[in-house]
Amino acid sequence: MAEEATFKCLRCGHEFKMPFDPKGPLVERACPKCQSNSVRRMKEEQKK
Amino acid sequence: MMDVGRHPNIKLLTYSEVEEVSGYVGNFNVKVRKKARYVDENECNACAECFKVCPVAVPDEFQQGFSSRKAIYMQLPQAVPSSYIIDMEACLGNNPIACGKCLEVCDKKCIDYDMQDEMIDLKVGAIIVATGMDVYDPTELDEYGYRSFENVITSMEFERLICAGGPAQGHFIRPTDEKTPKTIGFIQCVGSRSEKRGNRYCSNICCMNTIKDTVLLNDHYPGIEMKVFYMDIRAFGKAFEDLFRRSKEAGVKYIRGLPGEVREDPKTRDLIVTVENTTTGEVEQHELDMLVLSIGVLPRQDGSGIQKLLTLSRTADGFFMESHPKLKPVDAPTKGVFLAGCAEFPKDVKDSVTQASAAAARAEIILNADKIKVEAITSMVDKEMCTACEICYRACPYKCIEVDRENKIPAQIIEAACAGCGTCGAECPFGAVTMRHFTDDQIIAQIEAILDEDPMEKTVVFACNWCSYQGADFAGISRLQYPPNQRIIRTMCSGRVDEDFVLYAFKLGAPIVLVSGCHFADCHYIDANRWTQKRVEKLWDKLEKMGVRPERLQLEWISAAEGQKFAKVMRELEEMRKKVTKEEVEFTKNALKDLKFKREKRKAKLQADKAKAEKVAV
Repeated sequence: MAEEATFKCLRCGHEFKMPFDPKGPLVERACPKCQSNSVRRMKEEQKK
Repeated sequence: MMDVGRHPNIKLLTYSEVEEVSGYVGNFNVKVRKKARYVDENECNACAECFKVCPVAVPDEFQQGFSSRKAIYMQLPQAVPSSYIIDMEACLGNNPIACGKCLEVCDKKCIDYDMQDEMIDLKVGAIIVATGMDVYDPTELDEYGYRSFENVITSMEFERLICAGGPAQGHFIRPTDEKTPKTIGFIQCVGSRSEKRGNRYCSNICCMNTIKDTVLLNDHYPGIEMKVFYMDIRAFGKAFEDLFRRSKEAGVKYIRGLPGEVREDPKTRDLIVTVENTTTGEVEQHELDMLVLSIGVLPRQDGSGIQKLLTLSRTADGFFMESHPKLKPVDAPTKGVFLAGCAEFPKDVKDSVTQASAAAARAEIILNADKIKVEAITSMVDKEMCTACEICYRACPYKCIEVDRENKIPAQIIEAACAGCGTCGAECPFGAVTMRHFTDDQIIAQIEAILDEDPMEKTVVFACNWCSYQGADFAGISRLQYPPNQRIIRTMCSGRVDEDFVLYAFKLGAPIVLVSGCHFADCHYIDANRWTQKRVEKLWDKLEKMGVRPERLQLEWISAAEGQKFAKVMRELEEMRKKVTKEEVEFTKNALKDLKFKREKRKAKLQADKAKAEKVAV
């Protein structure tokens, strides 16, 4: 089942949450603010 | 169908399922499960004696449940082969011997309760996927009262009702009282063009189907009052507008607006439809005897199974994707596989026949060739460098690489099936897979040329041939303005962009690198761009560990039609480039000063191993 994960846009810096299933198929992601696809999932240590 | 059934060169396998497909263009091996019919189709002459004595009655799927069939049945009167079949799930107690009436009356002794599924192996040169479509179930649209009110039916049910071979023998009657209705309404776009319920796309055939139905009804029942509730009528094909005009001239009322509510008069079972007429701006009520929901078309539910069997690609809406919408509209991305009919997208009979003819002609080219020519854009394996790790096999969207990890047999490319995306080359951790085109040396030379002078002033852009590069082209021919600092390196697929290329660009002082490709649904190499995303995500982590801002590596999906997006991204990248300091570029260059291409590393290791072996031998 898809969990929520924190993502960071590497274009505008916006951080947001969206569903993320580590075992599911890859999905195309876009920043809700600037629509960039340079969206990186933040792992726990990266959030700090 | 009869012609197909009788054709000497066509082997028709009905009631069968493809279970396995292996091989490649010109040499496919297909395993087909021919399901047991429990009736010998060669002997059965459809005398219907078995049908008459069968005591089981179940809803007839072909007649949309308006009538019943027996447990032994023929799906439709024109079925090919013209033979009965036993529905074992419906057959009495799932134990036919307990009843056995059909067996008793069959003079030709065609019935065999012990018949087993048969596995058939076929060797074929080409495959045409014409798996058809499903239709939308409007039950979720409460406001239309489908399944709540018996006189609300779908367009598919309507087709059966008016068909001469249908449950009412072609007499148009309404379900509740079996009388010919005096007023009938049609609601368009049920399950189509909706953001929330149903599908976003236009189902393409519903407008003309309704128009045809109104003309047909008017011809047979001139007194019926007909009303069509619609958003807009899409009568775009040859003679379609004429038919629409005929319908209007026949007195059919076209009311622009989709009903918000359908109620039923419990006494008369008539329907009261409330709709906002957007032409007049008024809310109207219409009393109708019967209502037909013009339902949309869906991709088949079992599409994912066929997709896996043939390594096909599907668009976001679930229909199979063609290799190229303009240049290869009937070719699937897998060579030797072609698409026809609604498996590709909703289309009417004429378009389906046109596409099927084109697919057959395309397949014929392969079947008539002793050898087929493939473009020299395939990948190749350096067997000495290969460790048989199977990573290339896993990455290949076409599964056109043979490798045996257990027995350490190096990878081998099936060149006839290779499409040349280059994902295997980029993923190979040992640099053993190289391309015959867009070679590593060529791409590296481009990176060097770009960053030879004033690297701080430039952004390196990797763009895939089919979408992003075309997006750049579109931005150009649209005269869109964007800063001139970007330097584009074209690759066939974004999946080709090796980690080494990106790191090398940073090593040579690139402030920003962009990897761009097709949107997920548009990938011209099935799913190769998913590997791009995975690789870029790994690179972000790698850069961060080295102390380099991951923001300097950007990822973007840009389609060929998105010239505006390409220009916007270029403007944004230029703003980012200006913010990259000389110090951080120097830091990156220093961090990457010892960067060695994976091919070089592998070669060095092989040489070291060789030297060690020689030393031991001495």
